[in-house]
Amino acid sequence: MTDIRYLAPPTLDEAVRAFAAAQGAARILAGGTDLLVQMRNGMVHPGTIIDIKKIPEMTSITEAADGSFWVGAAVSGAVLAEHPRFGKVWPGVLEAINLIGSTQVQGRASAGGNLCHGSPAADSVPAMVAAGAVLTIAGPNGRRTMPVEAFPVGPGRTSLAAGEILVGFTLPARPAGSGDAYLRMIPRTEMDIAVVGVGVSLTMAGGVVTAARVGLGAAAPTVLLVADAAKVLVGSKLDDAALNAAAAACSAACKPIDDKRGTIVYRTKVAAVLLKRAAAIAADRAQGRA
Amino acid sequence: MTSLLLNGAATQVAAAPETRLSAALRDECGLTGTKVGCDAGDCGACTVLLDGAQVCACLVPLAQAEGRAVTTVEGLAATPQGAALQAAFHSHGAAQCGICTPGMLMAATELLAATPNPDEAQVQAALGGVLCRCTGYRAIIKAVLTLSTAAPPPPGAVGDSIPRLDGLPKLDGSERFGADDAPADALWLRPIRSPHAHARFSIGDASHLPARLLTAADIPGRNGFGIYPDIKDQAVFAEGLARYRGDCVAALVGERAAVEAVRWEDLPITWQELPPLTAATAPGAAPLHPRWPDNILTTGRLRSGETAPPAAHTAQGQWTTGFVEHAYIEPEAGWAERHGDTIHVHGCTQAPYMDRDEVAAVLGIPLDNVRIIPSACGGGFGGKLDVSFQPMVAVAAWLTGRPVRAVWSRGESLASSTKRHPASIHATAACDAAGRLTSFEFTADYDTGAYASWGPTVAGRVPVHCMGPYRVPYVRSQARAVLTNNPPSGAFRGFGVPQAAIAQEMLWDQLADATGLDRLEFRVLNALREGDTTNTGQHLRHSVGLVECLEALRPHWHTLRAQRRTTGRLRGGVGVACMWYGIGNTGMPNPSTMRLTLAPDGRLTFHNGAVDIGQGSTTVLAQIAAEALGLPVSALHMVLYDTALTADAGKTSASRQTFVSGRAAQAAGAALRGEILRRANAGPDARLTLSDGTLRVNNEPLRLDTTLEGTGSYDPPTVPLDADGQGIPYATYGFAAQLAALEVDLDLGTIHLQKIVAAHDVGRAINPLLVRGQVEGGIAQGIGLALMEEYLPGRTENLHDYLIPTIGDVPDIETILIEAREPLGPFGAKGIGEPALVPTAPAILSAIRDATGATLRRVPALPHRVLEAIRGH
Repeated sequence: MTDIRYLAPPTLDEAVRAFAAAQGAARILAGGTDLLVQMRNGMVHPGTIIDIKKIPEMTSITEAADGSFWVGAAVSGAVLAEHPRFGKVWPGVLEAINLIGSTQVQGRASAGGNLCHGSPAADSVPAMVAAGAVLTIAGPNGRRTMPVEAFPVGPGRTSLAAGEILVGFTLPARPAGSGDAYLRMIPRTEMDIAVVGVGVSLTMAGGVVTAARVGLGAAAPTVLLVADAAKVLVGSKLDDAALNAAAAACSAACKPIDDKRGTIVYRTKVAAVLLKRAAAIAADRAQGRA
Repeated sequence: MTSLLLNGAATQVAAAPETRLSAALRDECGLTGTKVGCDAGDCGACTVLLDGAQVCACLVPLAQAEGRAVTTVEGLAATPQGAALQAAFHSHGAAQCGICTPGMLMAATELLAATPNPDEAQVQAALGGVLCRCTGYRAIIKAVLTLSTAAPPPPGAVGDSIPRLDGLPKLDGSERFGADDAPADALWLRPIRSPHAHARFSIGDASHLPARLLTAADIPGRNGFGIYPDIKDQAVFAEGLARYRGDCVAALVGERAAVEAVRWEDLPITWQELPPLTAATAPGAAPLHPRWPDNILTTGRLRSGETAPPAAHTAQGQWTTGFVEHAYIEPEAGWAERHGDTIHVHGCTQAPYMDRDEVAAVLGIPLDNVRIIPSACGGGFGGKLDVSFQPMVAVAAWLTGRPVRAVWSRGESLASSTKRHPASIHATAACDAAGRLTSFEFTADYDTGAYASWGPTVAGRVPVHCMGPYRVPYVRSQARAVLTNNPPSGAFRGFGVPQAAIAQEMLWDQLADATGLDRLEFRVLNALREGDTTNTGQHLRHSVGLVECLEALRPHWHTLRAQRRTTGRLRGGVGVACMWYGIGNTGMPNPSTMRLTLAPDGRLTFHNGAVDIGQGSTTVLAQIAAEALGLPVSALHMVLYDTALTADAGKTSASRQTFVSGRAAQAAGAALRGEILRRANAGPDARLTLSDGTLRVNNEPLRLDTTLEGTGSYDPPTVPLDADGQGIPYATYGFAAQLAALEVDLDLGTIHLQKIVAAHDVGRAINPLLVRGQVEGGIAQGIGLALMEEYLPGRTENLHDYLIPTIGDVPDIETILIEAREPLGPFGAKGIGEPALVPTAPAILSAIRDATGATLRRVPALPHRVLEAIRGH
C-alpha cells in the first residue's frame, strides 16, 4: 500500500527540479538511516522520495590540485574510510564520521545526512567546523556556499531554504604541519550519541600553533565554532596556560541542557577536558608524532 | 520490480522501491531468518550482506539494492566460512535464544572474508553493531576467534558440556519466532496506546476507519489480566482511564495495509490529561485503583532477632535505582486462530499455562478450549511472563473468525512492557569490633507502576534476601510495592533482589573499612555456612557453597588488587560482592510435571512443557531425564511446550526450571525406567540400550505391546512466610561471589571494565557450557544495571536512547563453578538464571569505590553521577 513516488535522478539539476516541484512533500534519501526510520515511526509521510545516490557529484570524493577535498553529501562513512588519502589529511574528520553508528550504519550514513539531521550532538559536525569546511548548496535559485557552522540554526533546524539540497563539503587545502582530532564522551563503548564532542584542528610551526579552529558539539542548541578557544591557542606552544585558557573558553561557550545523558555542570566540565585531550592529539598529528 | 542476486540466485522482488530490505526479505521473499529487532539501525538483528558488506537491512530501501548481491543467514552455509562459523557458534554456546544470531553470523562473515584470522579487537569492532541480550558476547567472540569445534561433543551425560539440542535452527535461519510463522492471510492487529501517563479518554464513532477498532466493549469475557489469581487489575483495553504511557485503549484489526495506513489523528479518541502520580505515595494522592486507597499494593516484612548484639561500627546509606527494560531483541509477537469453539494462540512467551488461563478468562471460555503453542522466544528475562499480545489477538481472532497476528514495534515494546522496579532504599548495618555483623535494617519502596503485575512477588522476595547470604543476628526489613502512573514493574531476573544487593554490599564495604578488615575476608567471616539458620528461621543443612566461592576468588582478588593503577588520571579498583537467591516461588506451590513415553516401535519421547527462552532448559532437562532413564540423550525425541501436548511445567522464571522441572524430569526418567525394568524383570542396575527401534535390557530385547509411560512431578517443599517473614520460603538457594576490576577516568567519570571473575555455587552443573552461558549473560545485564540502563517513559523508547551493553562493554569473564550438591535437586543441581546477575552491579560499585573513594548512591553510575560522587567524596 504505497503511493509514494520514488525518483533516483542521475543529475543534481534533475534532483533540484523534482524537489522544488514537490513543494515540500518530498524528502531527500541518501543512506536512509534517518528517513526510513522516520517513515517507519510515522513521523514523516513523504509524497516523493528523491534518492540522490545516483548523482556523481554527491557521491564522489575528489582531491583537488591545491590539496583541498570535495566530499559529496551522500558519501558514506565506509566509502570515505576507504579513500587512500582523505584519512591521512583529515584524520579527525574521518574518525568523527566513523563514530556515527555501527559498522552496518557506516555503510549507509553520510556526513551530509548527519549535518541535515540538525542534531547538536552530530559527531561529524564539530570536526567539520574545526576543519573549516565550506558547504555547497543547490536550489531553485542556483548554488550558494556557506561555512558549515552557519548551517545549523537549532535542534533539528537548518538554514536550508525551501527547495534547497546540500550538495557537499569542501575542506580547505592543508598547510604543512597541520593535524586534527575529534573526541566525544559517551557512557557506552560504541553506537551512542555524544554527551559532548570536541573537534580541534591545528597548524603548527616550530612547536608553535600558527592556526587553530575548535568545534564543540552537544553543548548548546547547535554545534558551535569556539573562536575564543582557538584564539588563545594561536601563538602558544600548547603549554598548560594556553590549554587551560582554551579549555576555559570551551566551557564558557557551553549553553547545554540537563538531560538523561548528562547535566549542565558535567557537560561544561567535559567540554574543557575533551578540548585539552583533542588538542594534544591534533598537535601530535600536526608535528608528525602520530 | 527490483532485481537482486539473493543468496546467489537472481530474484525479482515485487515491492515498492522504498520498502525496507528487511521487510522485503521477510514478507516478499519468505526469508524470515533476517530478524527485525528495532527497525532503526540500533540492534543489528537484521544485518545482511550487501555486496559482501554488512548493512542493517531495515535501513536499506529496496531500490538501492537493485542489481546487487544480498546474502542472508539462509545463504550462509554456502559462503566460504559459513558452515564452520555455524558449527563454531553451536559448539561454543554462542547462540542462546537465537534472535541476534543471524545478525552476528552475517557480521562475522564479512569480517572473516577480509580477515581470516582476526584478533579479539577486530571481532569486537566487526560485531559491535549487533546487540545480544543473552550471551554476554564472550562465547560469540570465542566462536569467531577459534572457528573450530575443537573435540567432538561428549555423549550428554549429566555434567557433560553438550551443545544445545535445539541449537541448529538458530544458526541457519529456520527457527520460528513470534513474528515468523503467521499464516499469510492473517489480519493485522495494531494496538492503540495512551500517549499520556494519566488520562481520561473517550472513543467515538470509528466507522470511517478502514479497519475495525476493538475496544473494551468487544471483550467477550473478563476485561482484565494479572499475575495473581485475585488481582486482574490490568485491562486488555482500558475503560475510559489510561494509567500509564503505553496503556492499551483499543486495537485496529484489518488487512495489514489498511491498519498501517491509519494515522494517529484519524483515530476518534479524545484525551483529557490528568496529573500523573510519578513519585511513590505522594501525600494525599488519589488512588490509582479503588482497591488500594493508599496506593500501596503490598508490604513485605521480616523480623528476626529480639535485640541486636552490641556494635562497634555502624554504616548507613540511601540508594536509588531506575526502571530497567528487559530489552529482549525479539519484540512481542504472535498470532491466534479460531478453530470452532477453540482458540489457538502462537507466539513468544515464558508462561504458556498462565497465558492459557488469561486467554480463557478474557474470552469467557473453558480452559480446555484454549491451546497455547509457544514459538521460539527471542529473549524473555521475566518480561514475557505477563501476557501482551495474547489476549488481544485471541479476542480479534475469536470475533473475526480469521487468523490475526501482531508484532510490537520496538518503541511500543519499550513503552508497554513491564520493567525492573525502581527502588528507593534506606539501610543501616552494624558489626562488632572483630567485624562480625550484628544488625541490618532495611526499608525500601519499589515503584510498581500502574498495575500489580509481579509487584507482590518483589515485595515478598526482597525482605527475605536483603541481608544477603550472611549471619546477621538482628534483622528488620520491609519492602513496599507502590503504585504510580509509571509503566508496570514486573518480573526481571532477580525480582527486586539485585537492587537490594547494592545497598547490602555497599554497607559491608563501609563496615569492612571501619574494622580494618579486607573486604573479601569480611565476607568470608560473615558468610552463611551449612548448618546455619537463616533470618526466616530456615535451617540450611546442605548446599551452602558461599565460602567455597569466596575462597575460589581469593587468589584472583590478590592478583587484581596488586595490579591496579593507584596514581594518575585512570585509577584502578577491584570490587567484590556476594549474593544468595531462593530457587522457585516464595513460600508458594510451584509444581512441574514431565513425561517420558516409550512406544512399541521403540520411539522414546520426552514431553517437556518447560519453555526454553534461550537459557537451555530443553537440553538440561533432556540430559537429566536421559540419565535417570539410563539411555543416551540422543535417543530422545522431543515434544516441547504446547499446552495441548505437554503437562504443566510452570513458568520459566525464578531460576526454577533446572531445579523444579529438572527434579520432575529425573522422576519421569526413573518412573519409565521402573516400568521397563519391571517388564523385563531386571534389577535396578540393568543396562538399557535402544537401537533400530528395539529396547534392550541387559542386551535382551524387550518387546512392548503398549506404550510405556513415566511421569514425574515435583513441588519443592516450602512453608509460607508468616507476618514476621518467618518460614521456609525456598527449598534451596543459589550462592555466588563475583569480583570486578575496572578503571575510572577521574576527569570524565567514565568506567572501563577490565575483568570479572564469577564463582557460582550451582549445586551441580548439569551442562557446564550452558551454565557458563547463563553466568556471562547475567553479568552483561548486571553491567547494564550498574553503568548505563535507565528507562525514562517517553524519552528512551528506542535502543539508541535506552542503552544496553554492546560487545565492547563486556570484559573478559572468568567463571568458576562450585558444586555444593543439593540433595533435593536433580543430581544435586540448583538454578543459575538469576543468581548470575545479582552480584555484578554491587561488585562494580565496590570497585568504583575502591578506585576513587566515592560511594555511588544512584544507578546507573552514568559518568556525570560518578564525577559528582567523586567530587562529593
